[in-house]
Amino acid sequence: MSGSGLRVQIDGRNVQVPAGSTLLDAAKRADVSIPTLCHRDGCRPGTSCMVCVVQVQGLKRLVPACAYPVRDGMVVETGTERVLQARRTAMELLLAEHVGDCEGPCRRGCPARMNIPLMLRQIAAGRIDRALVTVRREISMPAVLGWVCPAPCEKHCRRTGVDAPVAICLAKRFAGEKGGRESGDWGMPPPRPGGRRVAVVGGGPAGLSCSLYLRLLGHTVELFEAGEQLGGGLCHSVGEGRLPKSVLVADIEAIRCTGVVMRTGVCVGVDKTLAELRERFAAVVLATGVHAEGPLPGPELARTPRGLEVEKGGFRTTMDGVFAAGSAVLPTRMAVRACADGKAAAFQCDGFLRQEAGAVPVPRFDSVIRRMEEQELREYAREADGHGRIQRAVSEAEGLSPDEAMREAGRCMHCDCRKAGDCRLRDLADQLGARGRRFKPAVRAAYSIERDHPDLLFESGKCIRCGLCIRISELRKEPAGLTFVGRGARTQVSPPTGVSWSGAILHAAAEIVEACPTGALSWKNDRVS
Amino acid sequence: MGKTDIDIREVDAIVESAGRREGDLIPILQAIQEKYRYLPEEALRRISEITPIRPATIRGVATFYDYFRLQPAGRHHVCVCHGTACHVKGATRVQEAVERHLGLAEGQDTDAEGEYTVQKVACVGCCTLAPVVVIGGATYGHVTPQGVREIFEEQRCAGRIQDSIPYAAESGVGDGPEIRVGIGSCCAAKGSLKVRDALLRALERSGVKARVRPVGCIGMCYETPLVEVVWPGSGSEPASAVPSALQGGWQSGGARIALYRQVTPRQAERIVQDLFPPAGRLHRGFRALGRAIDRIAIEERVPAGQRYELDYREGPVCEFIGRQVHVVTEHCGLLDPLDLEAYRRVGGGESWRKVLLDLGADATITMVKKSGLRGRGGAGFPTGEKWAVTRGAPGMVKFAVCNGDEGDPGAFMDRMILESVPYRVLEGLAIAAYCAGASEGVLYIRAEYPLAVRRVREAILRMEAAGWLGENIHGSGWSFRARVMEGAGAFVCGEETALLASLEGRRGMPSLRPPYPAEKGLHGCPTTVNNVETLATIPWLVCHGAEAFSGMGTEHSKGTKVFALTGKVRRGGLIEVPMGITIRDIVEGIGGGVEAGRVFKAVQIGGPSGGCIPESMSDLPVDFEALSQAGAIMGSGGLVVLDDRDCMVDIARFFLAFTQDQSCGQCSFCRVGTRAMLEILTRLCDGKGRRDDIDELESLAHQVASGSLCALGQTAPNPVLTTLRYFRREYEAHVEGRCPARRCAALIRYEISDRCIGCTRCAQACPVQAIEPVPYRKHRIDPEKCTRCDLCRSGCPAKAIRIETGRIEGKVAQP
Repeated sequence: MSGSGLRVQIDGRNVQVPAGSTLLDAAKRADVSIPTLCHRDGCRPGTSCMVCVVQVQGLKRLVPACAYPVRDGMVVETGTERVLQARRTAMELLLAEHVGDCEGPCRRGCPARMNIPLMLRQIAAGRIDRALVTVRREISMPAVLGWVCPAPCEKHCRRTGVDAPVAICLAKRFAGEKGGRESGDWGMPPPRPGGRRVAVVGGGPAGLSCSLYLRLLGHTVELFEAGEQLGGGLCHSVGEGRLPKSVLVADIEAIRCTGVVMRTGVCVGVDKTLAELRERFAAVVLATGVHAEGPLPGPELARTPRGLEVEKGGFRTTMDGVFAAGSAVLPTRMAVRACADGKAAAFQCDGFLRQEAGAVPVPRFDSVIRRMEEQELREYAREADGHGRIQRAVSEAEGLSPDEAMREAGRCMHCDCRKAGDCRLRDLADQLGARGRRFKPAVRAAYSIERDHPDLLFESGKCIRCGLCIRISELRKEPAGLTFVGRGARTQVSPPTGVSWSGAILHAAAEIVEACPTGALSWKNDRVS
Repeated sequence: MGKTDIDIREVDAIVESAGRREGDLIPILQAIQEKYRYLPEEALRRISEITPIRPATIRGVATFYDYFRLQPAGRHHVCVCHGTACHVKGATRVQEAVERHLGLAEGQDTDAEGEYTVQKVACVGCCTLAPVVVIGGATYGHVTPQGVREIFEEQRCAGRIQDSIPYAAESGVGDGPEIRVGIGSCCAAKGSLKVRDALLRALERSGVKARVRPVGCIGMCYETPLVEVVWPGSGSEPASAVPSALQGGWQSGGARIALYRQVTPRQAERIVQDLFPPAGRLHRGFRALGRAIDRIAIEERVPAGQRYELDYREGPVCEFIGRQVHVVTEHCGLLDPLDLEAYRRVGGGESWRKVLLDLGADATITMVKKSGLRGRGGAGFPTGEKWAVTRGAPGMVKFAVCNGDEGDPGAFMDRMILESVPYRVLEGLAIAAYCAGASEGVLYIRAEYPLAVRRVREAILRMEAAGWLGENIHGSGWSFRARVMEGAGAFVCGEETALLASLEGRRGMPSLRPPYPAEKGLHGCPTTVNNVETLATIPWLVCHGAEAFSGMGTEHSKGTKVFALTGKVRRGGLIEVPMGITIRDIVEGIGGGVEAGRVFKAVQIGGPSGGCIPESMSDLPVDFEALSQAGAIMGSGGLVVLDDRDCMVDIARFFLAFTQDQSCGQCSFCRVGTRAMLEILTRLCDGKGRRDDIDELESLAHQVASGSLCALGQTAPNPVLTTLRYFRREYEAHVEGRCPARRCAALIRYEISDRCIGCTRCAQACPVQAIEPVPYRKHRIDPEKCTRCDLCRSGCPAKAIRIETGRIEGKVAQP
């Protein structure tokens, strides 16, 4: 660059930028990252979200980097506590008026946090193998849970407000039993490389689940079961006739196929001591079930009246490298909870073994609508299958036929956000640690969804009024275009009077969906793969 | 509502006369709204068909401004003013009474017959008459909830609604005495035009030769309508050259002046009879008889002991005017606002000529810089510097804009200046434009000031006709054209970048500064934006020189400042004081303090961007820096006096409700932050405050102040931050469920004491039957039904009803 540029110092780094540059341009050049939501290269600045605020030496207030022009000799700070706090507040304010669900309420209600809406869409589209992959990502034994799960997810299903909840559990059983049938694919992703040796003690749902996910995370797993049979508490269900034995065996086989070594008849605490295991393995996970039912695996561990003592909110016991999960910690009768616990312990154990930051998945920011009005629900359900819930009990021998499964899955209202995995608002909320409910108004805005455009959907509640869609529609010379209507807190994005969304957006749909930093504008038919 | 039948040709005609560019959109929409009382969808569609303006732009603009409606409205507009002065004097109760009177359900704004549409308006700028209701252009002042029925009846009797105040011109004959009648909006609202007519009739009947001259605002709004009679001095001085008594006119040698306050049309006739006794004994005898009858009639209406002739040499008038210095208001109360010849006689236009022909731009800028004049719009940026930057900015085309979008509730200086001395503002604008190198000027005046708009438009025409504006002015080769653009109801347009967006025909959304308008303003060209008062100061400054101006005031704040002194003060009005005067001098000296029995608590200065200064700090001088250190700002000059019956949390809530409603909605801090602050304040006033609410409010207020894009958001927290700083106890009391000022409806209850004489008046006054009438026995108020409307208490002859506070069981019943 020539010497005619403007000198600016950002976080101690000196850069030169051409005249007319903004602070954001300069930050890019200085390799300093500044978050943005309403900014897009090529569009005029929106100065709306204010998450890009920075501190300029000599100015009392904070300024938005996306639009503030660089003047020669400026000194800028982007990482001070004041700046970060302001950004967090800006996010919390945006989230206060954000009416939308990141995840479906069903998923939120599932102890294993299975992506139920995605599974249902895959089933509805006839992609049963993909559906199984979706289930397996969070649930180690899809078919088993399809039979025995009390389905807490269905209690959260929004469809209940319209007629009756979607038969999620039956659909999952369908995926678990029929998925992979033809292709021979169990829906298991290839294990990660570079693992260590881990012992899992206990062959119940928690132990099996933990073994599977440790294996998929790349570790060499040996599972020790004191009895002769694997399945733990699930064997009761087999005995009571609530679960066919073949189903249990099939799900266990799928886990074994990933390379988990399963040793039955080895009682830790009797045949082997915990200390011996700890010596041979890099980590040990205890999933030994309710304690009254067997010998203690490790008398040296601290306990509570209900089970082994673990750190708050985690799975570490008082012994280094030894974890505990499932009923061994807190008795549960719900297999799905045990499965979820085993999985979570696997991730924490993996984090311990790899000693890397971020190995343990932390719960993501999740925007929640909570209760919806009847009118809103009807609007929501408009494009879902109109049939009532299929009349069949989970425990009936006959599962769903492919047609039935597709139709039932089609009843799902797609409460989860179409951009849940691709939302800059959500990403930034996580990054800044924003509390979404901090400024929530006592009365939330009404939820609505515009479906009239052939390709895209507009959910006004999710809109953060950044105006990118408006600016793009101007830039791309949409004849009718979009505009803000109203003022202040009542501001909304809308097509002009008498024009529908399909009339407003003729050719810029792809660009505005991609540019929208939230799920307010999304593709109507999201990919199910 | 169904499809309306609108004649598309009418829309075409409107567009034809307004123009087809984007900048013409707001005038087009205003004309359509004028015609149909709302914006019919077909009309909007038609605009997009016959102009290149995008449909999206039309919808965006039509929904941004308060003035525009998309739903049909009733035949008459009822505007209930919710300015600060009206608020502290009970606008909410008046609003409730109006809604009750028209039988409006929750969320409804138009009555069943389609006769009236009720609107809350931010401020109509008649603050000294608070609370104010405007029905179809007729302004009613000092409205009480009880009086609402009456004003609707009066309005109905008037039949045809007078939609605007007619322009008044000097009338009558002769070189004899001159009778001056104020015709500002406030005076007119109090019937000054009727007084004028009565005077003319009386003069005609008695055959006296005297002129009745309509004059601009005198500032003594608390005594309006004022009538001043001036006889020519003993010398050759004609009456018209005698300054008003309110500007020290009595000092001019030999002149005789009489001043009357709160004059009614009936009294007007008597004034004429008194002052100009006809000759002839017989005649006199008849008159004496007539006067005796008349006096009885008058004395019925005039409370005992109240004289209607004012002594201006001592007492209240003297106190009111004694400390004032008239720079901007130099000729107020003396000149007919539109009499260009009279303006010229007092030296008007000379400054413009001097700048144009002698001084030149650079010397004028130097002079203004030297004078220390700072913008009177709020921020106090040095005026000369602004001009210099605009002048120095590259570009062939430049603009000068007069910011007359005075939106602060509780402020009406700019309205008064525009209405009373339009030529002065235009002269200032011409000078500003010349110095900045702009040959086009625009005055952006808020639509709520119709009289100001009309007078300035007329003034431009007359100045052009006189050759003061237009092509080749005074043969200098310099041309300057000015036009008026009416606002459409958006407070944020007082922010200069938003104002420019509005001038360009867009939504009034501010943009980030820098670049400042002086570098990149209207249509991307360098633009100097100056406030009305600033511009009105310029002719005086040029005429008297920089030293005369900088001789007044403090080190960093020079000259004088006009304030609208309103609220709980005895003598409210429009005053001009030298900078540096203390708040106490204004409130207690000029304003006469608060009503007897009440305690002066604080002043709210600077409107929604300003703050509350407590009585304990009222020795603070009026000075840009001193005020901002105290957490307030000079603002545009609204000064609302608060007494012990005013709740500071309620005041903060009032301002936040205002800024929240007026936020443009662009940036997160202001759009959502003000709403979140309002939510906390509402919670506190509703007795639902939480322990951590005060800290949360304070921290959010700081964040909104430092993170917002424009001045509206940056200053919106000031009312909260200053009340938190000086009245934190009151906030804490609200968390505990008490309102020490006994103002917040949810935290108070009305109780009847043993002093009750059982007259049942309270029961009759109660609009919700919360009091059962039990003659000759002590009454009781049902707290469940009571809406805290105060009608019972204000009507109780025995003063038996008192207000208690403290957490109470029953909820407040919804009216």
